Amino acid sequence: MIDIFQVNPGLWLILAGLICALVPKGDAFAMLRKALVIGAPILAAVMITQIYTSQEVLAGRINIGGLELTTLRIDNLSMVWGYLFCLIGVLNGIFGFHEKCRITDSSALVYAGAAIAGVLSGDLLTLFLFWELTAISSVFLIWKGGEHAYAAGIRYLALHVLSGVLLLAGAIVYAKANGGDYMFNNIGLDVPGGWLILIAIGIKCGFPFLHMWMQDAYPKASITGTVILSAFTTKMAIYALARGYVGTDVLIYIGAVMTCFPVFFALIENDLRRVLAFSLNNQLGFMVCGIGIGTELALNGVVGQVFVHVIFKSLLFMSIGAVMYRVGTAKASELGGLFRSMPFTAVFCLIGAGSIAAFPLLAAFVTKAMIISAVIYEATYNPGLYVIAGMLLFASAGVMEHSGIKVPYFTFFSHDSGRRVKEAPWNMLVAMGLASALCIFLAFPWGGYQMLYSLMPYEANYEPYTVDHVVFQLQLLFAAISAFCVLKKLKLYPAEKRAEILDFDWTYRKLGLGIVRWIGAMWTRLGTAISRVRNRAIEGTGRRLYQMFSPAGAMSEDAPSGLAAVLTAGMLIIVLIFIYFVR
Amino acid sequence: MAEQENTVDTLTDKQLEERQNAHPFAVPFLWLGDQKVIDNFIWIPVIGMIAMIALGVVFPQAKPAPWDVIPGSWAIIGFVAYSFIVLCAKPLFTLLARNEDYYGEGGLPDPEYSTDPDITGEHHD
Repeated sequence: MIDIFQVNPGLWLILAGLICALVPKGDAFAMLRKALVIGAPILAAVMITQIYTSQEVLAGRINIGGLELTTLRIDNLSMVWGYLFCLIGVLNGIFGFHEKCRITDSSALVYAGAAIAGVLSGDLLTLFLFWELTAISSVFLIWKGGEHAYAAGIRYLALHVLSGVLLLAGAIVYAKANGGDYMFNNIGLDVPGGWLILIAIGIKCGFPFLHMWMQDAYPKASITGTVILSAFTTKMAIYALARGYVGTDVLIYIGAVMTCFPVFFALIENDLRRVLAFSLNNQLGFMVCGIGIGTELALNGVVGQVFVHVIFKSLLFMSIGAVMYRVGTAKASELGGLFRSMPFTAVFCLIGAGSIAAFPLLAAFVTKAMIISAVIYEATYNPGLYVIAGMLLFASAGVMEHSGIKVPYFTFFSHDSGRRVKEAPWNMLVAMGLASALCIFLAFPWGGYQMLYSLMPYEANYEPYTVDHVVFQLQLLFAAISAFCVLKKLKLYPAEKRAEILDFDWTYRKLGLGIVRWIGAMWTRLGTAISRVRNRAIEGTGRRLYQMFSPAGAMSEDAPSGLAAVLTAGMLIIVLIFIYFVR
Repeated sequence: MAEQENTVDTLTDKQLEERQNAHPFAVPFLWLGDQKVIDNFIWIPVIGMIAMIALGVVFPQAKPAPWDVIPGSWAIIGFVAYSFIVLCAKPLFTLLARNEDYYGEGGLPDPEYSTDPDITGEHHD
């Protein structure tokens, strides 16, 4: 008899996903699938509540081939991610309620289940299993974007499978040096396998030069697919960093770079879903940096930032998804003035934009400040960190640019595109409304952010609503908006233009592919040349042999008996010498 | 009611058409699209910024960073950083922008779930 309290709650979602895949097509059965899509995350959340008892729970132990696996661990860190993924699973289910697609429903459930199971796994091998399952299950959401998403899906899958392989290799090396212990605790870079695991996580997390899959695949997925994809993979990687690499210095610098470089790409990008993918990359940078700092304040900030980020980023993807659903495009150059047709979506998008920009009373105001404050506090002991703090402030102005202003402005305001469409479907509005309410509630000064604090791994004493914090944050934000207005007036703000913006993936999509094609072409030419030389050699030899030994050949010609006698004598001498020495 | 009718009477044909085509909840906010409003919007953030700089002098940072000795330091960072990012757009676009079919990965999207105006212009009414 299976004890359900020993079962990783993510497995319930995976089971629901498999059932979804078996449910026949058709409208009558679509409701059953939708019930599973929304109900399964709720069930998983209930199971986490039932299993977790404010102390670390280790369960689901399995012995396979002498390896002791701990398939379930719920503690104050993994619990947050578990609840968060269940919550966002429900919101995604509501957002995609109109979509009667069996593949999307089953993939979404298996993907969310794998992510939940991954963060609730106790050892590296179980993590590896679900790490790979997230990649395999989520690629269908990309392919659901249509034929033009196929190549992006393949690239996504290749990079994520590579990430899994590196994770497995690192885990084996790490466990071998660690007496065969695969438990996933603090790893660091000083142990064998530490770097391999970090690179594996870095791929999923979007480290610089490893980030391109995000901006490549997310904008090409289906409308619902992009919303679902934005929530799980990268945050699972952030969990892995928070579990294994707290206080690793290199993460401070990687995180700081991650916050800064995407703002430049987001500025010139025309596809708003890709802009949001860059924005996602930038927000992950704040989290990575906070993990590198590693103090209690920083880690609380990271956990809080992950929680609110998933909500407001989904909200932004949902609002642009709703626009795309009605208008047929997410390209900024084709949009504008949509607040006339989609006022509710516009308001929800503005709440998401304000949240990501960290306006007071909106989500990230509390959590982002915790991370930046943690860096500034640490800079007291290590003045070099003031540079990092400066980079984070620079990136905050960048966030205001691409997500705070660009996304809502070019979609709902700016010049009127003349498009008059219906408001988003009711289910999308409900999902966006719930996410907006959470964005406001989780930063609310009286009982709101305190609830967020109750989820944090350490006791949170940080007071976000001090006069100086509100005033200085508003200085930054008002100044950024003023700069936008001034640049607009001076016509220095760039117009949105349709273009493909090259990123680092150019190295393998064009340069790498070009090199492979060149090698292929050279190989073919070489083969042809070798074949030609070989054929010539064979032909030449054959011709000469023919000329020599054929009935009309040289050897058949009449020769003087004297010459024949000399040749015969010569051969006899050679044979005699040979026999003499062989003996 | 009479006042509302009077208001409607004073509207131009274009404004009336705009009202008719707009979502009922958007009608009270159509002034947001007015060019005068757009032109004068700048005063809101500028006044807000000046007010916050003044307040920042009265209420300095409790745990200041080195740049906090300059009054309005965060406003300067915000303004300069934002402007720098935006002014980088032109050279970056020249350097990195290519034609939309540069990678040649076209194809027909699935109109049920995903749309792309490049190819079909599908949308859902």
